[in-house]
Amino acid sequence: MAGRRAAIKAIDWAAFAERVPPNQRAMFNALKTRSDALSARLAALPEKPPTIDWAHYKAAVAKAGMVDEFQSKFSALKVPEPKDTQTAKIDAQEAEAAKSTAEYVQASKARIAQYEQQLQKLKSMIPFEQMTFEDLHDAFPETKLDKEKYPFWPHKPIADL
Amino acid sequence: MQAGALGGMFHSGPDASSTSSPAGGGGGCSGGGSSMAAAAAGAGPAAPPRAPAPRAPPPLARAGGRGAGRALSRELARRHLGAEAAGGHRDEGGRLAVCPVPPAMLSRLLLRAAPAALRSLPPPGAVGVLHATRPLHTTQQSLAPLPPLPEKGGEVRHGLIPEEFFQFLYPKTGVTGPYMLGTGLLLYFLSKEIYVINHETVAAACILSVIIYGVKRFGSDVAAFADKLNEEKVAKALAVKNEAIKDLETAIELEKKEQWRVEGRSYLFDAKRNNIAMLLETNYRERLLMVYNEVKKRLDYQVAMQNLKRQKEQDHMIQWVEKNVIQSITPQQQKESIAKCILDLKALSKSAQAAV
Repeated sequence: MAGRRAAIKAIDWAAFAERVPPNQRAMFNALKTRSDALSARLAALPEKPPTIDWAHYKAAVAKAGMVDEFQSKFSALKVPEPKDTQTAKIDAQEAEAAKSTAEYVQASKARIAQYEQQLQKLKSMIPFEQMTFEDLHDAFPETKLDKEKYPFWPHKPIADL
Repeated sequence: MQAGALGGMFHSGPDASSTSSPAGGGGGCSGGGSSMAAAAAGAGPAAPPRAPAPRAPPPLARAGGRGAGRALSRELARRHLGAEAAGGHRDEGGRLAVCPVPPAMLSRLLLRAAPAALRSLPPPGAVGVLHATRPLHTTQQSLAPLPPLPEKGGEVRHGLIPEEFFQFLYPKTGVTGPYMLGTGLLLYFLSKEIYVINHETVAAACILSVIIYGVKRFGSDVAAFADKLNEEKVAKALAVKNEAIKDLETAIELEKKEQWRVEGRSYLFDAKRNNIAMLLETNYRERLLMVYNEVKKRLDYQVAMQNLKRQKEQDHMIQWVEKNVIQSITPQQQKESIAKCILDLKALSKSAQAAV
């Protein structure tokens, strides 16, 4: 019984709450209330039930052997510990989460690299005062007018003006 | 500038070699130098040979051409060497003709200095401010990105004539040189009727004066307005660029924050496992408690049953005894017991009276 105590880890709810994104706050609150209710219930129950005073009962009960019988059966009785069916599922969930996390972090890093590249390009640009139109088209390819597709001025659909 | 370069070299030549040349020597040297510069111009490929008519003595003036120029210089040098050291005879042009320069050095200087001076000239098509020219094609490499264009164009006098022209003529003619040249040219054109005055001249004068007045009065305002338009365009582009930079930076920050968030997933699973453990523990304890309660209930029931039975037996027995006793009392015994009680009472009352 004492060994089961260690299974309950102390959770830093404050740190946990920090990391929760705002769109999942409701779920987090639900989890927290559930956890708190469970821990309250646990705390209300004593760890060991009080022992039965066999001597008193032996003296009180007239029927012979009844108390002895009860006592022997009681000490022989082993209350089975409830089976843990869900932890395996949780572990599986955790493994899956680790995998998807790794993927997400990978994608995130790729995105960051992209952003960094763009940032670098923008920061190392020559100032606009010293640019020619060619330089502008090199720096921002979307400003380039497509003279093959629209050979006549203004080289872009009228709706885009 | 060509003349200036050569003249400078000439000036340094005599200054180095002369020991105590009088100030006039310098003046004579400059006079001789300019004539020699003119001769050197004849020696150079670009400048046309110019006869040094007003300065040299008349018999030598008739000589022209390249080779003659060199001979001319040598003649002049020889002539001037023959003059006295201190003071000197004045030329007809009012210039001192003393110039103590060895002729061989002069000719060598001419031969060497001309091409070098010509090469050091800035290219004629250079766009540049007077004091800062844009270096085009000075090295083999091509500069990329190109260095920025200068902010202002070359300085210009009277709106037409570049400042370089005045600087070019300054060493020889001083400040008024170009103006004298201009006036002379104008008078020449007018007097020779190379430019004919007709009604178009009047029209040109009126139109030009109106244009010049307009430009002078409104020029700076219009320029400022155009500059403002350009500034706005550039400012807009700059704002777009800055906003893009800011957006990218915030995006990077957000991504990093999300990565940090994701690192806290262990909390969630720990919480879940804790919940499970708590549930199991609670269940177990409840079972234990249930067992205890049930056993205790049964034992207590037995004890309570026993007690109740005992109680009932006792009550019943007491009642039965009482009932029997009352039944056994006969009327005779009742009368006797009452008489006895009265006698006892009388005795007691007597003792009580006595006690009082």
